[in-house]
Amino acid sequence: YIFLFFQEKMLDSAFNIDFGYLEGICRGFKNGILKQTDYLNLVQCETLDDLKLHLQSTDYGNFLANEASPLQVSVIDDKLREKLVAEFQHVRNHAVEPLTLFLDYITYGYMIDNIVLLITGALHQRPISELMPKCHPLGTFEQIEAINVASTSVELYNAVLVDTPLAEFFGECISEQDLDELNIEIIRNTLYKAYLESFYNYCQSLGGATADVMCEILAFEADRRAFIITLNSFGTELSKEDRSKLYPTCGKLYPDGLAALARADDPENVKQVAEFYAEYRALFEGAGNNPGDKTLEDKFFEHEVKLNVNAFLQQFHYGVFYAYLKLKEQECRNIVWISECIAQKHRAKIDNYIPIL
Amino acid sequence: MGSLFRSEEMALCQLFLQSESAYTCVSELGELGLVQFRDLNPDVNAFQRKFVNEVRRCDEMERKLRYLEREIRKDGIPVQDTGENPEAPMPREMIDLEATFEKLENELKEVNSNAEALKRNYLELTELRHILKKTQGFFDEREGSMEPGGQTSLTQNLLPEDTKGPIQLGFVAGVILRERIPAFERMLWRACRGNVFLRQSEIEDPLEDPATGEQVLKSVFIIFFQGDQLKMRVKKICEGFRATMYPCPEAPADRREMAMGVKTRLDDLNTVLSQTQDHRHRVLVSASRNIRIWMMKVWKIKAIYHTLNMFNLDVIQNGLIAECWIPVADLETVQLALRRGTEKSGSLPAILNRLTTIEAPPTFHRTNKFTKAFQNLIDAYGVATYREINPAPYTIITFPFLFAIMFGDFGHGVVMALFGAWMVWKEKPLSAKKTDNEIWNIFFGGRYIILLMGLFSMYTGLIYNDIFSKALNIFGSSWHVSLSDEELSHEKEFMLDPTNDKQYEGAPYPFGLDPMWQISTNKINFFNSYKMKISITFGIIHMLFGVALSLWNNRFFQKTLNIYCEFIPQVLFMCCLFVYLVMLVFHKWVWYGGVGSSGETAPGCAPSILITFINMVLMKGYEEKKPGSVCEPYMYAGQFGLQRFLLVVALLCVPWMLIAKPYLMHRNQKRRQMMVQANGGEGVIEEGGVTAEAPAAEQEDMGEVMIHQGIHTIEYVLGSVSHTASYLRLWALSLAHAQLSEVLWGMVLRIGLSSGGHSGGIILYFIFAAWASLTIAILVLMEGLSAFLHTLRLHWERKEVSKESRIVGTRVEFQSKFYYGMGYAFIPFAFETILEQAEENVVAEQCK
Repeated sequence: YIFLFFQEKMLDSAFNIDFGYLEGICRGFKNGILKQTDYLNLVQCETLDDLKLHLQSTDYGNFLANEASPLQVSVIDDKLREKLVAEFQHVRNHAVEPLTLFLDYITYGYMIDNIVLLITGALHQRPISELMPKCHPLGTFEQIEAINVASTSVELYNAVLVDTPLAEFFGECISEQDLDELNIEIIRNTLYKAYLESFYNYCQSLGGATADVMCEILAFEADRRAFIITLNSFGTELSKEDRSKLYPTCGKLYPDGLAALARADDPENVKQVAEFYAEYRALFEGAGNNPGDKTLEDKFFEHEVKLNVNAFLQQFHYGVFYAYLKLKEQECRNIVWISECIAQKHRAKIDNYIPIL
Repeated sequence: MGSLFRSEEMALCQLFLQSESAYTCVSELGELGLVQFRDLNPDVNAFQRKFVNEVRRCDEMERKLRYLEREIRKDGIPVQDTGENPEAPMPREMIDLEATFEKLENELKEVNSNAEALKRNYLELTELRHILKKTQGFFDEREGSMEPGGQTSLTQNLLPEDTKGPIQLGFVAGVILRERIPAFERMLWRACRGNVFLRQSEIEDPLEDPATGEQVLKSVFIIFFQGDQLKMRVKKICEGFRATMYPCPEAPADRREMAMGVKTRLDDLNTVLSQTQDHRHRVLVSASRNIRIWMMKVWKIKAIYHTLNMFNLDVIQNGLIAECWIPVADLETVQLALRRGTEKSGSLPAILNRLTTIEAPPTFHRTNKFTKAFQNLIDAYGVATYREINPAPYTIITFPFLFAIMFGDFGHGVVMALFGAWMVWKEKPLSAKKTDNEIWNIFFGGRYIILLMGLFSMYTGLIYNDIFSKALNIFGSSWHVSLSDEELSHEKEFMLDPTNDKQYEGAPYPFGLDPMWQISTNKINFFNSYKMKISITFGIIHMLFGVALSLWNNRFFQKTLNIYCEFIPQVLFMCCLFVYLVMLVFHKWVWYGGVGSSGETAPGCAPSILITFINMVLMKGYEEKKPGSVCEPYMYAGQFGLQRFLLVVALLCVPWMLIAKPYLMHRNQKRRQMMVQANGGEGVIEEGGVTAEAPAAEQEDMGEVMIHQGIHTIEYVLGSVSHTASYLRLWALSLAHAQLSEVLWGMVLRIGLSSGGHSGGIILYFIFAAWASLTIAILVLMEGLSAFLHTLRLHWERKEVSKESRIVGTRVEFQSKFYYGMGYAFIPFAFETILEQAEENVVAEQCK
């Protein structure tokens, strides 16, 4: 026992040899996340140029300095993402195993989204070159642009995905059926399920604080997906049986909650399932669609932000990298939301951002 | 007295500016650079300030100029820097500037987009040319392997003859990035199940990517396949991998014809392209002439509006109110500048009011290029409290001197001094060359320090008589070997006796150390004792000087209490123990040894000073003269009694420092309270009016004062011991330096010098190179750096100030004796510094 304890301590102190710099840099980045006071200032802005001026006084600095006025929301969005990606790439480029794989795992999620985006686009006869800028830069891979070669999922697997890290998640969705919209959604969710479970297992295998922090976050992610899949499936052709296959099984809902969700027929049933879980009950209770209420989606986001912020309370683990990326993404969504409200002169809902710190 | 000894007196002033003349006035003040404005609306957001639109326009202009500059740099056109310093343009000129920049930017953008389109066209044609050339190769190969009679279409022959009927194979030719080839090939194979045939060939010369202007390597490929379905698929994959496909005729004649066409079109394009480039070049060259000036103008305008944003609006008089710190000596100049500003705009004059304030003013030391480096050394630790004694002027001498004690070598000193002198000599051209090289900038910034350090090292080197670990015998050594050469050749070592007047002249070497020591075997012992004593002596003088400076500080701030309760006991303590120690050292040097000494002053009789001092502090009892020995245990009569007395005085100083000040403060406070009670409420107001800060300070918690004083005392008492020891680093580093240089001579250069013959000359050539570079790298650079750091440490103080408790923690050596360094620097609003910073940013960006 003493030996184990010792080993654990050793690992903690050895963590900094390889990852101390990166963790430090990540925590430094995290300190640059906008505070409540920044948001209060941002929502007072009259124009996007005001917004730019205020962001200049934060860690964002001169990231918009070379953009011509008047600013577009899309430009802000692109620049925000560009900056985040640059930071992530910096960390990724300096990482060694096992952090490298951990960081790669984070990008797989974006790959799935990109693939689905491109296939859907291809189905609607949109040229790839038009779709590519919309793809998340973290989720690109070499073969991605040739994705419209595939017309069935088998082809998709054999031609495109077999060389990518996503191949191992694809096992369950190989079929000769032509790709159509429902199909694609199923592929996306199946892929995501396999991805989340694999990521969950990987984090668990890493052990230590990483497992503690990441499993908590990923379990929530899994449960959120299960809820949302269920809620979105009402009124579609998706059969209950198919639906239950899409639920990621690494969450806290597994197995009883998922079984109950599989039987659900309307949103009321979903809410009843959530009643059994303390944290989800609170989310469902606070949510509503009336004006002034927060949507369930926002509630989920808030909870996610809370979990991610908590990740920074522990040291010597990889969760901070994941948490930082997610927090920063939330921040980008917030800024874009505020910018949209400013640009469209629609200030009523400008306060619907999700504060982080 | 100049402001180098103390920071300048500052005045807080209020400025009333008419809104028409505010801009010109601030512009004048910016040129002057003597005024520090205070932000009067710190709570207002950046985008809610008055002149935010102007700032934004400046940002926009800056962006355009940056774009222009990038383009200029891309073309490698030198930016002319005439060194001209344009005045900030009037606000109405801004519109002209904006229009100019707008026009330039648009023109440039148009030219660029034209050029890009042309280049794209050019790229396509070159690629096509390459394809035609390369595919020719592929087809030729095929033809060569064919039997001579086969006159069918080339693509037919890919399948064996026995299949039924000629099957037409299709093919696609194109160009792809070279690094994508492997994935491309794999993908083709996977998607078409191996039913396609790919040939590829590298294009040797890199092609220019029209969008980014980068050089990229590409490859030509040709894919053969059968059937339309495969064709669709192959085309999709090609698109997916961003390969550009070109039509390539099948017949050789067609290909040749096409190649000819491509060639003529390429030639045409070339002329058009060069014309566009010429146009672009002309635009950029004309812009490059003015861009520096424009940049400066924009920066100045921006700085002015930023400053104006800090002002308060005066609604009634339609003016602006500013608050600023101005050196009292410069009030007149500022007034003049304001007058100039108002004259320019032709409005009512600006009004300057002096305000009284209890706020601590900023610290402002007027420096020139010589004193600046030294001031920076001091400020790097902490900016002096307002009007505190500034250590910088003393540092100018003490810093290089203490450095030189550690770096005492004439040769190395010459190298260093020459380097410093070269930098000082070439000051102007060197400073004009702006670089991002941090190390160089540090050296260059400290050029005067380096020069002085070099000169002082030359001096100490002469005193140590040490030149690259060798000695100079200028005046002739005082020591003589009385043996003949014959006798000497048998001896390995020979001891010289200082009491023998044949061997010692009786008078020391006139300047510095006797060269004889450099070759003696007990050199180290001698140098040890000498350098140790020297360093203690200088250390004590240095510290005492620091304490003495605190007297000036206390007198200046009229803290008489501090003089009686801190300064006097401190000096007494230091003198009774450490100055006495130094005097013992000198006494021992003078009293003992040498020719003609005998009896109790014989060389062997000198007692160890270290032991004497330890015995003194430990209060060892009186020592009797040992029977049968000629030596006295004491150096002079009455030593025992004097030492006891000094020790008692020193010990008495401790409670004096500890208790006197808190007690007196406590008593004063009580008396004041009684007075207040006697006079009623009136007294309070009067008191408060006369001494604004006194009541706040006096009413400090007595306990806190006690703790503070306790720490201060302990720190001083322990400090004087540890600091004295700390000055021993002078000795240690000096010895280390001398030893290293000796080792380098003995281990490296000697080998070269001792090898004879013609080959010896060649060997010496290389060995000297090695020795010289090692001398520079290790002895001058590394050792110099380490000596520099130690000197810095001896000058600086190290203290951990926790603001709340205001407990002053450990402070070391010289500055701790008087320097608090709790002030904040005066940062005047000056265009000069603003432009410098902006330019540094530009340089940094360029280096990226």
